[in-house]
Amino acid sequence: MSFRVGIDIGGTFTDLVLLGRAGRTITVKVPSTPDDYSRSIAESLEEALPRIGIGGREIDEVIHGTTVATNAILEKRGVRTGLVTTAGFRDVLEIRRLRMPRLYDLRWQKPEPLAARVDRVEVEERIEHTGRVLQPLDEGSVHAALDKLFDNGVEAIAVALLNSYVNDRHERRVAEIIRERAVDVPICLSCEVHPEIKEYERTSTTVVNAYILPVVGTYLRSLERVLRRLEISGPLRIMQSNGGAMGVDAAAAKPVNIIESGPSAGVVGAAEIAAKLGYEDVLTFDMGGTTAKAAMIEGGRYDRVGELDVGAGINFGARFLKGGGYHVSVPAIDIAEVGAGGGSLVRVDAGGALAAGPESAGAMPGPVCYDQGGSVATVTDANVVLGFISPTQLVGGELAIRSDLSAAAIREQIADPMGVSVDDAAFGIHRVANATMARALRAVSSERGRDPRQFALMVFGGNGPVHAATLARSLDISTILIPPVAGVFSALGLLFPATEHHFVRTFKRELADVARDDIAAAFAALEAEGAGALSAEGYGADMTEHEHQADLRYRGENTNLTVSAAGAVDDPRVLAEGFAREHERTYGYRSDEETVELVNLRLIARGLAAEARVPDSLSVAERSAVPVQGGDRGRTVYYGAETGRLETPVIARSAVGAAWVDGPIIVEEYDSTTVVPPGCRIRRIGWDTLAIEVGPE
Amino acid sequence: MEALDVSMPEEARDPFTLDIIKNALAAIADEMAITVARTARSFVVKEALDFSTALFNADGELIAQGTCLPLHMGAMPFAVEAIQRAFGGDMRPGDVYVTNDPWDGSTHLPDVVCVKPVFMAGELVGYAAALAHQTDIGGRVAGGNASDSTEIYQEGLRLPPVRLYDGGEPVDAIFRIIARNVRVPDTVLGDIRSEVAACAIGERQLIDLIGKYGKGPFEAWCQELLDYTERFTRSEIAKLPDGSYRFTDWIDDDGIDPDPIVFACCITVHGDDLTVDFEGTAPQVRGAINSVFPFTASAAWACVRAVLDGDIPNNAGYFRPIEVKAPERSIVNAFPPSPVAARGLAGFRIADAVMGCLAQIVPDLVPASGGNAPEAGISLGGYQPDGTPFVYLEFLVGSWGGGPHRDGMDACTGIIVNYSNTPVELLETEQPLLVERYSFVDDSGGPGEYRGGLALDRRLRFLYDEGIVQVRSDRRHVPPYGLNDGATGAPSDVRIRRAGGEVEQMPSKFLTPLVRDDVIEIRLASGGGYGRAFDRDPERVLADAREEKVSVSHAAEAYGVVLGGTPLAIDREATRARRESTSAGR
Repeated sequence: MSFRVGIDIGGTFTDLVLLGRAGRTITVKVPSTPDDYSRSIAESLEEALPRIGIGGREIDEVIHGTTVATNAILEKRGVRTGLVTTAGFRDVLEIRRLRMPRLYDLRWQKPEPLAARVDRVEVEERIEHTGRVLQPLDEGSVHAALDKLFDNGVEAIAVALLNSYVNDRHERRVAEIIRERAVDVPICLSCEVHPEIKEYERTSTTVVNAYILPVVGTYLRSLERVLRRLEISGPLRIMQSNGGAMGVDAAAAKPVNIIESGPSAGVVGAAEIAAKLGYEDVLTFDMGGTTAKAAMIEGGRYDRVGELDVGAGINFGARFLKGGGYHVSVPAIDIAEVGAGGGSLVRVDAGGALAAGPESAGAMPGPVCYDQGGSVATVTDANVVLGFISPTQLVGGELAIRSDLSAAAIREQIADPMGVSVDDAAFGIHRVANATMARALRAVSSERGRDPRQFALMVFGGNGPVHAATLARSLDISTILIPPVAGVFSALGLLFPATEHHFVRTFKRELADVARDDIAAAFAALEAEGAGALSAEGYGADMTEHEHQADLRYRGENTNLTVSAAGAVDDPRVLAEGFAREHERTYGYRSDEETVELVNLRLIARGLAAEARVPDSLSVAERSAVPVQGGDRGRTVYYGAETGRLETPVIARSAVGAAWVDGPIIVEEYDSTTVVPPGCRIRRIGWDTLAIEVGPE
Repeated sequence: MEALDVSMPEEARDPFTLDIIKNALAAIADEMAITVARTARSFVVKEALDFSTALFNADGELIAQGTCLPLHMGAMPFAVEAIQRAFGGDMRPGDVYVTNDPWDGSTHLPDVVCVKPVFMAGELVGYAAALAHQTDIGGRVAGGNASDSTEIYQEGLRLPPVRLYDGGEPVDAIFRIIARNVRVPDTVLGDIRSEVAACAIGERQLIDLIGKYGKGPFEAWCQELLDYTERFTRSEIAKLPDGSYRFTDWIDDDGIDPDPIVFACCITVHGDDLTVDFEGTAPQVRGAINSVFPFTASAAWACVRAVLDGDIPNNAGYFRPIEVKAPERSIVNAFPPSPVAARGLAGFRIADAVMGCLAQIVPDLVPASGGNAPEAGISLGGYQPDGTPFVYLEFLVGSWGGGPHRDGMDACTGIIVNYSNTPVELLETEQPLLVERYSFVDDSGGPGEYRGGLALDRRLRFLYDEGIVQVRSDRRHVPPYGLNDGATGAPSDVRIRRAGGEVEQMPSKFLTPLVRDDVIEIRLASGGGYGRAFDRDPERVLADAREEKVSVSHAAEAYGVVLGGTPLAIDREATRARRESTSAGR
């Protein structure tokens, strides 16, 4: 018997999924331990392993998604970081791109730079945009700058010089000088962390990397100790924002890559399950307590973006108005996030309209119905009043629910001021939350020129399946898929990704002028880097796969489009048609008379597993699937003014068969609740997945 | 379908559907904005984001605006109105109209507005519109922003409302006229295409949205949305104390006549109505810094919004309770043939005057004046070695004034123009320039209990043999104001370090030839202070000194805080003595 383990640490819970070769599955959910996250991992493993009677030696591999990098940034728990810049550009990091994330907001405060001004030092040197050295590096100025940084007591140093993306010589020499003077201090060079044009973006990415590097490194080492203690000797891999996993050493050197590791695991898992079920075009929707996230899978593939705005806070304009948080330029799955979840606080605004979120009751005090001191009505309270969620206990039966408190809060705060019934107010809250969450789905579909109606909607996260049907209806989406273990799905998703390393090389020139040999040479160099990184993690040449991509744009455009560069080594002109077609699809036009520029070449080097990593079917161990202990076997549920309250049966997932059953019906499980309103029907398809067909109300 | 059947009239008051339609419209306007930003060609559009997008109902009322540039907020309705006036019943599906006439909704010639009427089943149901600041629009000075033109005819190509697309087909004559008149036709036509692409996205999405509700009910919802917005705005205005509040600010000069130009503002709050009146403001001037009324009104509306609830939607309902009055033929309501190219400057000072009034109405929120609008504009033009023209256009944004409870942000855009900067590395790749410095100026923040944000310094070395640079700056003689006895910000400064080595002190507005290795050095004004500098918590002065934003000597001089030792610490005894002995003068 051999098992693989996915462990996803979120701010509130640590989720674990243990998967056997034959599809045997165990899930565990324990509270996270923010003072030392590795402790909750130990606890979850110590709970899981005895349940199936195995020891750590039978674990082949551990794949981990973690918020530790994100939290280090948000909670300012990184180390004191120095920054070395070109003379005259000390303040690039703090000036940022000037923009505000919200209009008309006199209260907004820009985030403190992660390297303070006193720790930002200048060196005399200058390289032109062509790469030519205009002014050689003055090593005396480097020593003076380092004197100051070491006096200040910095614990990590970032180096970001102008135009180093075309010529890295000066940055590398600065690194040598630092190393001569300090053996241990971590050094991050912008030419290594993010060798692309735009000095603020490159500098910020490098500084973030340096700032969190020691914290993430310490955490990963203590995690390795935990695994050793449990006699788990299989490799530990860390999930990246880009959808691939990487080895511990690589993650420790470039922690900036693991910022969105948990959410990306959910998308990767969704893509794999969709493919197994024969769905090519899927929107994923992950709804938790505070936020909801959406991503698009098209033709079996998810999209990536080139940057994240960490800690930007969440607002509707966030995808257009950047600048709220810490910029990092890293490939990341394109995930849109909005501030609406089960815990979102509900209020009536001054104009008399209802609003939900982005403020959240969190896990403490939580919704009013938890009776832990929460007094402001939340989306979960509305769902309890409606009967969408059990009005007596949280699924799993571990927490009693006070639906009377929910109803009283909604009556007093919403229904009475608006002059509607409690049921209608609750249904209104449910729909307003849907309207906010629909913006995340639109951000990844219609904003990219795709029609959401042509996609199936795969829904997970603790609160997702509660809203799935009504949300799909509001977007005219007709097919919903609820994967197994939906409430801990990101942990399952961790078991799917291949090991991946991404490389990029700026290759800026007119496509028409690009010679075949130049592209071939550039990709060959990138492949050598890729093979090196993978062999360090134990993948031989026969277990390696290389994917070529290219970033192109019409001359003068701001944003590149990334297209497949398969075949470009033989004939670079294939890129022109691929780009024009993508441009037309995304922006509605192509412009064949314009000059196309090839901006970057990208390589994804994948380490492939020796055998299929995921079984053909899943059997979820008893406890996860068992119907609620002492739960009600049916209840009345409110589906809106037209339909009113209806008696609705409540069943377990295992009781859903292969034939369609008409709603209303509710499927209740250990970690989530699926609502099938009237007009919709449900059945169970492959991979223990629930399929819902959404019909008119 | 959702439970959104609105055939029943009483359901038109369902607040949930209203919220959903409000969000859907806002999302469409943002999608249009994303399309412009991603496909535009010029720095000023794609990096600085000087553009806007909007949706209108069939009557031409603004129903949503992208989260773009507040100063455009009130202008686009005038463009739609002008196009309705010109083409009334003559529009058909696939048409796109264009205008850049300042008196038809553009506000200055570089702002080209595209408007696409949206039809369903042959019936007009609304408009999708986009406005973008073009890098060049012809005329006597490259870049279209010269402040020294003296009539609109010098400022470039002026298109009245005309068809740009006719039933889906491009009107080649108009494209050719534009291409022939501007210095960088590829960039300009590329940016205009990005506007048209945004309008097409807006059209498609608006049709989908209306399709869900039906045309009649949708129109009813739009009216309810505007009414809701008006109610929301009125309830917010009603919270402000009744009364009349006055404030005056100045522009240094118009670059032609040397006299300061007065901007007088009086805000009157009466119940849930608010009036912004610019009576007493200077007559229109000879130089091109005159503002047309829609621009003036936009600046006033944008500032007032900043003291009301942030969730008020961006639509015509917001304008209803706020009346803006501007004397005819004044610098805030110029008439043709006044030059208006550099009207941005008037807009920033209008905003300063309005904020000065609002600081009296909402004293707990409004900061002192800063340099956080694009206070300095640089247009650099000439010819590349192969003879083709180039134009470089950049607007520089500085810092915030100090405010109640907090220091002014060092380097951040302001609330009326959500501008961005142009990356140095990008600029160097595409323009004949080398950037020598982009940094804060130490000790420059306006002293106050809450310090004004630091000035910014940008230095550009010119790398071709010949060119002409035009700079429009201000705040040289009248620096940004402080509040509550805070000091003014540091004034702006522009110099040219000539290739030969001599340094030329320039006026705030000028046009001058450049040769290779000339360096333009622009220092923006800093933010004004808030409260008495000698009341500043010495710990904050120490923190600034440790951050090297304030020197030890400036700490003593401006704040009366004596610092010394290693590491730096406050000498409390000496500080008390210094503050007591000199406070009379502060």
